[in-house]
Amino acid sequence: MIFFKDIYLLFRRHLRKALRAPVWLLMGLMQPVLYLILYMPLLKSMGATALLPTGEIVRVFVPGMLVIMAMGGLFAGFSFIDEIRTGIIARWLVTPTSRVGVILSLICNQLLTLFFQACILLVIALFLGLHVSLIGIALTLVLILMIGITMSSLSYAISLSVKDEGILASITNTFYLPVMLLSGIMLPISFAPRWIKIAAHFNPFYYAVEASRSLFAGDFGSHIVLFGFGVIFVFSLVALSLAVRALNKMAV
Amino acid sequence: MNEAILKTTKFCKTFSSGRGKKIKLVEAVKGVDLEVKQGEIFGFLGPNGAGKSTTLNMLTTLLAPTDGKAVVAGFDLLTQPEKVREQIGYVSQAGGADGFSSAFENLVLQARLYGISATDAVSKANELIGRFQMKEFALREANTYSGGQKRRLELALGIVHRPSLVFLDEPTTGLDPQSRAYFWEEILRLKKEGMTVFLTTHYLEEADHLCDRVAIIDHGTIVVQGTPQELKREIGSESIIVDFAMDKELEQAKLLFESMQNIKKIFAQENKLYLFVQDGGGMIAEVLRVLDKEKIPVSTIGLSRPSLDDVFLQKTGRSLREDKN
Repeated sequence: MIFFKDIYLLFRRHLRKALRAPVWLLMGLMQPVLYLILYMPLLKSMGATALLPTGEIVRVFVPGMLVIMAMGGLFAGFSFIDEIRTGIIARWLVTPTSRVGVILSLICNQLLTLFFQACILLVIALFLGLHVSLIGIALTLVLILMIGITMSSLSYAISLSVKDEGILASITNTFYLPVMLLSGIMLPISFAPRWIKIAAHFNPFYYAVEASRSLFAGDFGSHIVLFGFGVIFVFSLVALSLAVRALNKMAV
Repeated sequence: MNEAILKTTKFCKTFSSGRGKKIKLVEAVKGVDLEVKQGEIFGFLGPNGAGKSTTLNMLTTLLAPTDGKAVVAGFDLLTQPEKVREQIGYVSQAGGADGFSSAFENLVLQARLYGISATDAVSKANELIGRFQMKEFALREANTYSGGQKRRLELALGIVHRPSLVFLDEPTTGLDPQSRAYFWEEILRLKKEGMTVFLTTHYLEEADHLCDRVAIIDHGTIVVQGTPQELKREIGSESIIVDFAMDKELEQAKLLFESMQNIKKIFAQENKLYLFVQDGGGMIAEVLRVLDKEKIPVSTIGLSRPSLDDVFLQKTGRSLREDKN
């Protein structure tokens, strides 16, 4: 019980901070919304020449944007490094507060932001012609939040070991682009040449994108959905334990 | 004498960097034995990189020691760190105030994290806001505070749960003299209220003024431990400081003084010579006479009562003042 109380107390503080500088909320939203407005129309016209229905294009494109948004959790470490430097994290670690709780409270805050951003994106997508079942959306959101856990935990783990925004930026940037391209976010990997397909199969986020596309298509029972959930679940646990381990080893 | 509230035995920390064959071991703390008594202000001094922060991190449960034992506030640091955390307070050098929250919000959250109920946390926060004269800015975000205001909040955060032992890591570094005087008063007040204070500082006059006992750490080992008076008495009664214009002259003079029997110890720093003597008043004339005879020009000459600076200089071969930046 005390564990949950501590998470709640710290979470409330993170939320207060986020609401006092709401620019963070918009920053994560910017990129996927721009893709939706400035890039998806191109896909639509291309689809029209290939006689694909517009609804189909939106349904394939939006899940990728949700995954991109969740991968933005990688940038959670930047404000975290600032908090390590100002000594806040150390101050909390010296109190009897659970250390796992400190990490979880930060992740909860990331997830809440992500959830709101995803909802806004989905509303925009509905206006742009998205047709999808509620169950499909709900299950996809669960998957997206699990990606959020994975990415923010990884970001916290890296931040705790490097403690430098510059290094964190170069690590995340090196990591972000290939992972994004190899998950078929822009266009499905099924269009790709064989070697890219093979490479994509080693990328956990490829399964996440494919799984959410299946969910959007109403194909809830397909094995790719189960597989996508399984892979991301395992990865989120691994990332979370890395973050907790890094926090336990932290020296100030 | 009071019993110990903190005791370390053969406390060690070794960091390893690199991988495989290139692994490099750095012994930051090598077998530190400390004893802090209940109710005292204990000063922990040392130059940068001496192992001060590492020791403090270990004592506050932030870092696991490689070897050795420690009992902090009645609990074993290694086996019961959660119990230790309940008993101690910690104000780090970085401070740790949350800039996005007000002093009031900071204090309430801190109290809640120590398991204090919501209503008690609010009255606790208000009490501390009164005690540290933070009323006029208590509801503003801490990002807008001046250095001294922020430091006051941080000290308040460290004692919100009335710890029996509080660690203050360089509490007055970077403060103006007026704020420093204010903090000295507050630190003495903590002692009066029965708290034990473990203090690190760069300012030896601060240690001299506040501390009942001090320990000096250098290269990861304790070089000396005792009351400031004891330590000062140990190094001799006074020191003569001779200032030279040229290095050559200093070297010449140093050779001369080394053969003089009444000079206990000599240190050269920058272009000054420190001569530790028993009877300063009598010796200063003697020193001048010798220098005059050899025609070595002197810029200034002075006599200083022994201070912790002198103790530090003797024990570590460095002056803490030069080390400060």
